[in-house]
Amino acid sequence: MFRVVLYGQWKWSRIVVILGSVAGFALPILSVQGATSDPQRAMKAGELLSVIRSWGVLYPVLAAAIGLLIAIATWTPDHRGRHVLALSLPLPRWRYVLLRFTAGLVLLVPTMLGVLAGALLASATATLPPGLETYPVALAIRFALALAVAYAVFFAISAGTTRTAGIILGLIGTVIVVQVVASTAGIELDLTSPVQAVVMNWPGPLAIFTGRWMLIDV
Amino acid sequence: MSNAVEIRELHYRAGKSFAIEDLDLSVPTGSIYGFLGPNGSGKTTTIRLILGLLRPRSGTIRVLGEPMPLRAPAVLGRVGFVPEQPHLDPTLTVCETLRFREAFYPTWDGDWAGRLLQTFDLDPHHPFGKLSKGQKGKVMMLLALAQRPDLLVLDEPTDGLDPVVRRDMLAALIDYVSQHGATVFISSHLVHELERMCDWIGVMDNGRLVSELPMERFKNGIKRLLVSAAPAETESAPFSVLARDRNGAATETWLVRGWEPGMSTWFDARDASLQSVIDLDLEDGFVELLRTFRTPHGKEVR
Repeated sequence: MFRVVLYGQWKWSRIVVILGSVAGFALPILSVQGATSDPQRAMKAGELLSVIRSWGVLYPVLAAAIGLLIAIATWTPDHRGRHVLALSLPLPRWRYVLLRFTAGLVLLVPTMLGVLAGALLASATATLPPGLETYPVALAIRFALALAVAYAVFFAISAGTTRTAGIILGLIGTVIVVQVVASTAGIELDLTSPVQAVVMNWPGPLAIFTGRWMLIDV
Repeated sequence: MSNAVEIRELHYRAGKSFAIEDLDLSVPTGSIYGFLGPNGSGKTTTIRLILGLLRPRSGTIRVLGEPMPLRAPAVLGRVGFVPEQPHLDPTLTVCETLRFREAFYPTWDGDWAGRLLQTFDLDPHHPFGKLSKGQKGKVMMLLALAQRPDLLVLDEPTDGLDPVVRRDMLAALIDYVSQHGATVFISSHLVHELERMCDWIGVMDNGRLVSELPMERFKNGIKRLLVSAAPAETESAPFSVLARDRNGAATETWLVRGWEPGMSTWFDARDASLQSVIDLDLEDGFVELLRTFRTPHGKEVR
């Protein structure tokens, strides 16, 4: 049962999976090459760390993008068929959702492995100044977690109807409009900061995306 | 006689404009039940309620003896469903679609699926999304049949298909039913198609079941009568007068239900004259029934 669901999802997601894996593999290598390509700069630890940090922004962006695209691809066949197939299959709905979710998770693995392989290769080939070390496994684990979180969030949103998506977007839009109006009117009102603190700070669900994404660090 | 599908006092509302009200419906086990009704009458909604795809506001639905939607996973394993619109993954080939379906149904008959592929002249390596409408219909019918269901629920399965494809599909359906004694619940606009194959008829209009009868009673019971010197009073008639139209000063045309040959004496006793009795086919009966139901004084006929 799982095999056929996975195969179906692979057909919808394969381009994203392949591109994600290539991007995941290339990102650590490019970041280290960018930082160590200039022999003079490679010797300066501070500058090296600065370049690595600027490349580090791309890891959560990649995780969010791949998570989003795989989540959309996961539900696309069901949305196309207006969920009639899913609802008429002889299994509980929670089990069908679990099958879809797990199959999507499996399709994230190539991208996770791409980042791990790229990070290991980049670490093995980098020439580092004294005092600096590489953390390929830690970076890959963090990327894998971020990818899984992004996928889970977008999977839940994509599972809903257009109406649900409209309600979510409407709520976000309302908060932004109220904030803008309050700012314009000179009213002291801060709606976004508390929400941001709850969501983005530990143990918030999106805390994994914040902080330093460093393949090379002290 | 047990019922494969039994609906009692069902209420369902979709938005403000459409509701199914107080629906009672019984599909006898082993029957081929034709479900007729104009567009928007609630046929597809009723089918979705039967399959547990929608939840009713109140009332009970039992399918193959099990309550729905409570026991939907177990029941759906014994039900073959062909929806109105293609619902399958368009990227999968026909062969892959069959494999997908096989994984979910323990009663799947791979040999018969293979034979049906040949009978329907389907290319197993062709993506479902690139098949013609007729081929898609054949694939969906194949999937429903190859899982060896006890109940087939078909929502306008041949709508928009050419006569050759329709004939192939219905032949395979009849073949299966005759061999396995399965129950068929089929909705269609093609009244003549149902007339040939069904032994029960249910007519739906505006969210209500207008009539539910064995096919023979439905066809034979509705007649058009040409009456001279028609009596004003019809309460004592042994048949139901659904409608009466004046043709001129002397004659009226009556649409009646429950007519039997010996009933002409009722007119004689009232100094009226029955000039002719006109048989209606299923389509005429269906149209007249709906016309009567929709008139302000139209009454529900069961």
